[in-house]
Amino acid sequence: MRTITAVVASVGLLAGAAHAKEYSHQKYFEHYEGTKTCLKCHEKEATTFFHSQHYQWLGQAPQIVNSHGEKLGKLNTINDFCTNPQSNWIGLVRNSRGEVLTKGCSQCHAGLGALPQAKISQAQLENIDCLICHASGYQRDLYQNPDGSWSWKPVLWKNQEGMDSVSKRIGLPTRTNCLRCHAGSGGGPNFKRGDLEYALADTDKAFDVHMGSDGANLQCTDCHAGEDHRVRGRGSDLSGTDDPAKPLSCDDANCHGAAPHKAEVLNFHAQRVYCTTCHVPVFAKQDATDMVRDWSKPSYNAELDKWSATITMGKDVVPVYAWYNGTTWEQLPGQPVKRLAGGAVGMMMPQGDRNDPKARIFPFKLHRAKMPVLDGKNFIIPIVVEEFFANGNIDEAVKHAALDTYGVKDAHYTWTDTERYMGIFHEVTPAAKALACLDCHAPGGRLDWKALGYAGDPILAHLQPAHTVK
Amino acid sequence: MRKGKLLAVVGAAALATAGLASAAEPDGRVLFKEYCKPCHAANSPHGEVTPMTLIQDQWERFFKEKLVPSHKELVDSNHGGKKVLDVITPEMLQKIKKFAIDHAADSEHPMTCG
Repeated sequence: MRTITAVVASVGLLAGAAHAKEYSHQKYFEHYEGTKTCLKCHEKEATTFFHSQHYQWLGQAPQIVNSHGEKLGKLNTINDFCTNPQSNWIGLVRNSRGEVLTKGCSQCHAGLGALPQAKISQAQLENIDCLICHASGYQRDLYQNPDGSWSWKPVLWKNQEGMDSVSKRIGLPTRTNCLRCHAGSGGGPNFKRGDLEYALADTDKAFDVHMGSDGANLQCTDCHAGEDHRVRGRGSDLSGTDDPAKPLSCDDANCHGAAPHKAEVLNFHAQRVYCTTCHVPVFAKQDATDMVRDWSKPSYNAELDKWSATITMGKDVVPVYAWYNGTTWEQLPGQPVKRLAGGAVGMMMPQGDRNDPKARIFPFKLHRAKMPVLDGKNFIIPIVVEEFFANGNIDEAVKHAALDTYGVKDAHYTWTDTERYMGIFHEVTPAAKALACLDCHAPGGRLDWKALGYAGDPILAHLQPAHTVK
Repeated sequence: MRKGKLLAVVGAAALATAGLASAAEPDGRVLFKEYCKPCHAANSPHGEVTPMTLIQDQWERFFKEKLVPSHKELVDSNHGGKKVLDVITPEMLQKIKKFAIDHAADSEHPMTCG
């Protein structure tokens, strides 16, 4: 590093002595030398992080009803966006013009490039990238090592003075830190979640009452932080959970409580209707979100010289509504696919119904996709998306993944429709713009009563006793 | 050495200059690419420089203390063989400086100039 810094200095860019500012870690060390600098004081914290979902990409999954006690997470499950990171972990993929298309799924792993291991070691602790979450102004990029392997390194790795400055700006993660990965997942801005947009980094309460700088101005950690790097909350479609004993809910006693409304009729509703059902009328308010991803139909973008699935985007999307009791059925790899009534495979299905006392009506982004299923075994197959982005050969990308995942050579497969329910919990609108009675309880209202287990709008039973609806 | 490097890209620069002449207000990114990049591209013997090479404090100090001493003798063959510091007007320099600082390594929007 010293040699390269000298090259930069030779062109006259670095000037004089640093005018040190008083950052939080200004006095704790002089030069940042990678994660080992952090470990000198924070080995205990690094150990807790090593075991966390954010590092392992696996965790306890008691809310997945078919997990059978196994740890689950991104690493050993398949989703219908970029499918699975194991075969797409790290490395530059270039198009025919030599331009970089992707750098691998590890771009959003809080490590420096090595795959997380089950067993803790010094090398694994030094693979943790503390700064990606804790240092404001920190940026990293992918670099090839002399032995041909790849590592994520600070963009300032050739600039020791700059690195020393940025590495001392340590604090709890800000919205900007979290959104770097959580708003960009799925391949583009807001593609995956729908209710986690880059706009939330700097927004107003009209957009989100919790995160608006003129509203509560909450950071993500105000709700989601737990002890020892255990992040609270799993939405409805995360497999592993950091802290299953402490689920996150709006009606926690120290937030809104079980009866937050002045009107008793609304508190009565809150017993069977979750808060965001009324308080998030639409999502994807700035950036459109991926609503349908058809991997069976490769689509070529000539401007980018890049292949992708055929993706249908949606903006200002009205959620779909379903009962949810906090548990989910997940289509796991190596388990024969389970088909819904309409024939699609349910990738993540919220559990619960009208007669389940633990269930409430929640809002969801319903993501549809077309995914490959292994003939004979009926296993869902992931896709080696990185190579597909460059060459557009989807058959090769599926067969490569079938070999990596199931050891099946030259796999035969069939494309099938899939559905994934993804809970909507962010972009909470001001109370004055929440849903009102007639948004649901009127002809053509937004709730599909039959899908929810009713013969029709249940309010009619109260208004017209002679025409009771069960 | 630097003069030779500048001569090597004269064709491209001539085209860029023609583009600038017709553009109403070239922004800092365009100016950075036009006046800085020819000597500071990837694998350049003078070292690759993008806004992300430095943090904001370092860019401030560079423009305040180092730009003139380190560039005052340089001739820009892309722009009529005049001295670099004569070719870049104070207004253009302000735009280049703002672009570098706004997109420095520790900025909200770090970037190269493409």
